[in-house]
Amino acid sequence: MSIEFSKYYRLALAACSPLACAQWALAEEFSLMIGSPVAAQNFQAKSAQFVFRTKGCGKLAKLQVSGNAEGVVNGIRKSIRLSRIAAMPVAGVYALHREWPAEGIWVVNLTGRCDAATASALVPIGPNGFLRESSKFFPRSATEAEIEASLKSLATGTNK
Amino acid sequence: MKMFDRHLSRHLAAYVDGELPPDRARKAEGHLSQCARCRAELEQVRLGMTIVERLPLTEAPESVWNSIQGTLSTHEPRRPFPIHIWRFAGGAAVALILVAAGLYWYSARQAETRWEVVSLNGSPKVASRPIHGVGHIAVGEWIETSGSSRARIKVGEIGSVDVEPNTRLRLVTARPGEHRLALRSGEITASIAAPPRLFFVETPAGTAVDLGCQYKLHCDATGHGLLRVTAGWVSIEWSGREALVPAGASCRTRPRIGPGTPYFDDAPARLVGALETFDFADGSSALGIILAASRARDTLTLWHLLSRVGAAERPRVYDRMVEFSAPPSGVSRDQVLRLDAQTLGRWREELAWTW
Repeated sequence: MSIEFSKYYRLALAACSPLACAQWALAEEFSLMIGSPVAAQNFQAKSAQFVFRTKGCGKLAKLQVSGNAEGVVNGIRKSIRLSRIAAMPVAGVYALHREWPAEGIWVVNLTGRCDAATASALVPIGPNGFLRESSKFFPRSATEAEIEASLKSLATGTNK
Repeated sequence: MKMFDRHLSRHLAAYVDGELPPDRARKAEGHLSQCARCRAELEQVRLGMTIVERLPLTEAPESVWNSIQGTLSTHEPRRPFPIHIWRFAGGAAVALILVAAGLYWYSARQAETRWEVVSLNGSPKVASRPIHGVGHIAVGEWIETSGSSRARIKVGEIGSVDVEPNTRLRLVTARPGEHRLALRSGEITASIAAPPRLFFVETPAGTAVDLGCQYKLHCDATGHGLLRVTAGWVSIEWSGREALVPAGASCRTRPRIGPGTPYFDDAPARLVGALETFDFADGSSALGIILAASRARDTLTLWHLLSRVGAAERPRVYDRMVEFSAPPSGVSRDQVLRLDAQTLGRWREELAWTW
């Protein structure tokens, strides 16, 4: 009887595994999304360069976001840690304000961490604000090579 | 942002006077951004307060004092002083109080009803007086610029308005809780750093309500207007018709019609032209062009069109929107076609991430 039970147990387990896998696969992947300040629906974002939100983070209490402004000014490579990333009243939504100078070319490197998951975004800044179409998103931290490539594209005007 | 569950009627006076606790004031602001009815009531409250503030102080008529004196005489024991001395002392006290109140009112009004005006070019005029360098504009006064003059008005403590050449602009209200101008013709550039709904510009075809922004507002001699937002976002409203205009977008206005449908400045010319026909002329044939020419970003325009087309045309607009952006969960086709306010608000919040 115990053997029969064991057999049925293994059958049940085998039947459930695909379901469990499907459930896991359907869970939204942790990612970042950027938007114009109007998307924050809050006047505190009015003067922001852009706003961003996280998606797929089931544990907002463990959510951490950070950013650097990566730039080239007069041929010199610069990196500025961003301290004015303001959390909006809606959980997971943030406004990012300009902390880099007007001179040079700049790309904002955003990183979000939710428990063990990491997501990032490289957002080029143009003369009229952030360049949505040229922004790139990653399910991990952006690499140095990717940051340099984004700066190079911005410098050569191959970004929109 | 959570909103009041019901309308704000009972709280509007406290909101205008700044007496709501900060968290409730923020909730009220959120509700006002979504509720046209409460915004209309807010305007009425502010108008009433403006009228009361403009009432002149006057002395009570002699008959009132006589009545009071008569009542005091009936209920109080006779005093040793003659009545005429008592009346003189009372009258002097009333006069003193009135003078003090008048002085206080006058000094307070001076502080809050005049804004600084700086001449940027030439000699703009305020109440027909040319301004050289720095001047002031008081409530009710007009500022006028010629073809070669420009001015900058300091809007209380919350920002500034540049008055471009050939512009006529009047200061309507200047209070900490309400800063209001009326643009008769010409162009202004407003840059405001304040919570929403503190700064308003009236035109013949709509009132621009600052929600935190920078924008240009142009109005020609016929009252036709164009609002162009460069930072933040603006709501433009007239007689229950409103449009939300974010940065990078514009909205035309016409007298007796109000705001048109907002569009992004980089929208295809075909779409912009068809939109003008739809908004201000016989628009029956224009809708097809608008839908065909629209891009993913033009869901700003399409979202506004949902409530501006007839029920028979609405499914076409909805279907085009869905091609660009799937509605979020909880937003159904049926609710959208019925123009359910909460549903439309929810979809707009999601769409705004693509604008």
